[in-house]
Amino acid sequence: MAVVTRTAASRTSVLAPLAGLVLLLILAAVTTPGFYSPEVLRLVLFQIGVIGVAALGQTFVLLLGGIDLSISGMVSLTSVVLAMYTAGSDDRLVVGILLCIGAGILVGLLNAGLVVLRNVPPFVATFASFVLIQGVIIAWTRGAPSGRIPRGLAWLGGGRILEIPVPLILFAALALIAGIVLGRTTAGRRVYASGLNPDAARLSGIRVGLVAAVCYVIASLSGVIAGLINAGFIGFVDAALVRDLDLNSIAAAVIGGIALTGGKGRIWQTVIGVVLLAVLLTWLIQLGAGGGAQLVVSGAVILLAVWLQSRRFPLPSIRRATPEKGMQ
Amino acid sequence: MTQHAHARPHARKGLIALAVGATAAVILAACSTEQEGGGNATGGATDCINAEEAQSTYEEAWQSTADAFGLDQLEPVAEEVCEVDASEWQAEPKQGDTYRIALAAQGPNNSWGLISEEAFNYHADELGVDVLYASANGDATTQVDNIQQLASQDPDAMVVVPMGEGISGQVKAAVDQGIPVVLCSGILPESSGAVSTVTRQYDLLGSAYAEWIANQIDGEGQVAILSGLAGVPTAEYQVAAAKETFAKYDGIDIVTEQFTEWSPTVAKTVAQNLIASYPELDAIWSDSGYGAIGVIQAYQEAGLPVPPITGDAINDFLLTAEGTDTRFALSTFPPEMSMECLDTAMSLLQGENVLNKVYIDSPSFTNEDAEQYVRRDCDGSLLVPTSVPEDLLVSLGLCTAS
Repeated sequence: MAVVTRTAASRTSVLAPLAGLVLLLILAAVTTPGFYSPEVLRLVLFQIGVIGVAALGQTFVLLLGGIDLSISGMVSLTSVVLAMYTAGSDDRLVVGILLCIGAGILVGLLNAGLVVLRNVPPFVATFASFVLIQGVIIAWTRGAPSGRIPRGLAWLGGGRILEIPVPLILFAALALIAGIVLGRTTAGRRVYASGLNPDAARLSGIRVGLVAAVCYVIASLSGVIAGLINAGFIGFVDAALVRDLDLNSIAAAVIGGIALTGGKGRIWQTVIGVVLLAVLLTWLIQLGAGGGAQLVVSGAVILLAVWLQSRRFPLPSIRRATPEKGMQ
Repeated sequence: MTQHAHARPHARKGLIALAVGATAAVILAACSTEQEGGGNATGGATDCINAEEAQSTYEEAWQSTADAFGLDQLEPVAEEVCEVDASEWQAEPKQGDTYRIALAAQGPNNSWGLISEEAFNYHADELGVDVLYASANGDATTQVDNIQQLASQDPDAMVVVPMGEGISGQVKAAVDQGIPVVLCSGILPESSGAVSTVTRQYDLLGSAYAEWIANQIDGEGQVAILSGLAGVPTAEYQVAAAKETFAKYDGIDIVTEQFTEWSPTVAKTVAQNLIASYPELDAIWSDSGYGAIGVIQAYQEAGLPVPPITGDAINDFLLTAEGTDTRFALSTFPPEMSMECLDTAMSLLQGENVLNKVYIDSPSFTNEDAEQYVRRDCDGSLLVPTSVPEDLLVSLGLCTAS
């Protein structure tokens, strides 16, 4: 009987973000008739791409029971590195991107080192990294980053293939890869095992530290990719860029059902969370809601998601952390 | 059964927590969007000295902006500008032969902050005064500590670039300690006791942009307001002044108010939404050139004409708008006004009367005159036109040597 109750609760919990999305889409249709116009839908798809890429990286860290508050810092750093190195020249674009990737790996390793080797709480470690990145940017550029983003990158932020924004296509491809890795490979199962119970995972022979390092590097690299998308989108160094990206990436994963406590959740849940958040943000602007109202509604939705999680309705994936059944 | 009995109180507690959290969020959001008064700049003078002449200098800035924007009238908001009797503050250097002036700066966290403090230091070198420096990194809480630290070094005078009203108490304490404080590029309530305020007037910018837009659309049409950040005084003052001006025109409908975070990326996303939601939009009031860049890009990519738009004069904006038929009105909030802040502090120490409110009259222009202000030899983040010495701009890497 208890099993039946738990299964029903699990379904409810898994279906909650989907139900929320459907409800939101209906609300949008009723309150803003123009919401389903091609222009607005393209905006939603673009938002899904940008938030989604960061949320994918965040998901890897959340599954470990960690959190990464330095992703938005990586977005800014990517923009600055690219502009300062390339000075707008397409000839330097490839090396510029490689430098950004190198910076992403460094920051990811720094985060992992602090968390794994020094046992610094992830919240503190990654926030310190964020501050460090901001400091490096200011010290390097003296607050006035110069240079432009190469035009060759514009397609990544503003391009379309068959009217579908390139960022969305990139997000979909990355989500597919992440889903396969987490759900169908031994490496993915090690991530879940490390997040669920690090001690047990260690005793079973999993190198938890290495798993954590890879996850933090993935999160930082997701910041680099999001940074490249944003840089291509606007074509300028934007020092004020993406203050909200960390919050949005965490919110999207949590709304979808990724547990903040680690080891629970699947990539498709993050995808649903991303879609829901992107629809919500676009709908609020379409409604003409001011900045305060947008923050209130976004915050309330996140609170609701966390509250639903706190009711301890287990997700199916929690109970199926075995190689036979997979995670995806 | 036992599980149920435990689950219900748990769920109820969760609901209560959620309700409390949501209520708190609503209250916080309401507070954050509350507009702060724009006309309460400081003034240390109790008797208005030389009121007529002082008042006329104040009105000059409004008139020159009106002329630049081709406005028949731009009514200055009521302000009482007076001279401050400097005899109270006249003093010899407290240590040695050189005056020591404290600078509680914003910090070099953007090009404005960088130029502000570098221009100050440059001018201090010219005048032969020592500078005691502290950076707030754009944060009012940090600045509270900065002012205390600087005051503890007993400088001859202090120049503060205010990061928020939260520092008023520390400014008052410094003044009570006998340090003349000059506010620079921002305002604080009169209770702060600051001796003089040197700034570009937010009300002027907000009103002038709005009046120019009203002029462009003949007092009728849909207008969107793009502000920087909700709850930030520098943004709210301008918006409040703009709304007051628009309210004079019955035919103008403010259809939406959005925030760009002074980021072209965010502004572009917001503008894409505007295009979809308000295809009949007639003009966009923006407080920022960075925000206006995003707007131009969004309209160009949609293949639509850019509505008349306002903002501050960023070199990047002029470069973006170059070759388009965009109508725009720009003005400046020049960071190099910090040099005048230093002059004001020095005047006080030398016993020369100063104004309690020195409202900077800086250039304003429209698309018709934009060509002469573009600086192709300088970085896009430069605020133009600039009166910063060329050698300083080159040494900061903002311009190339000619």
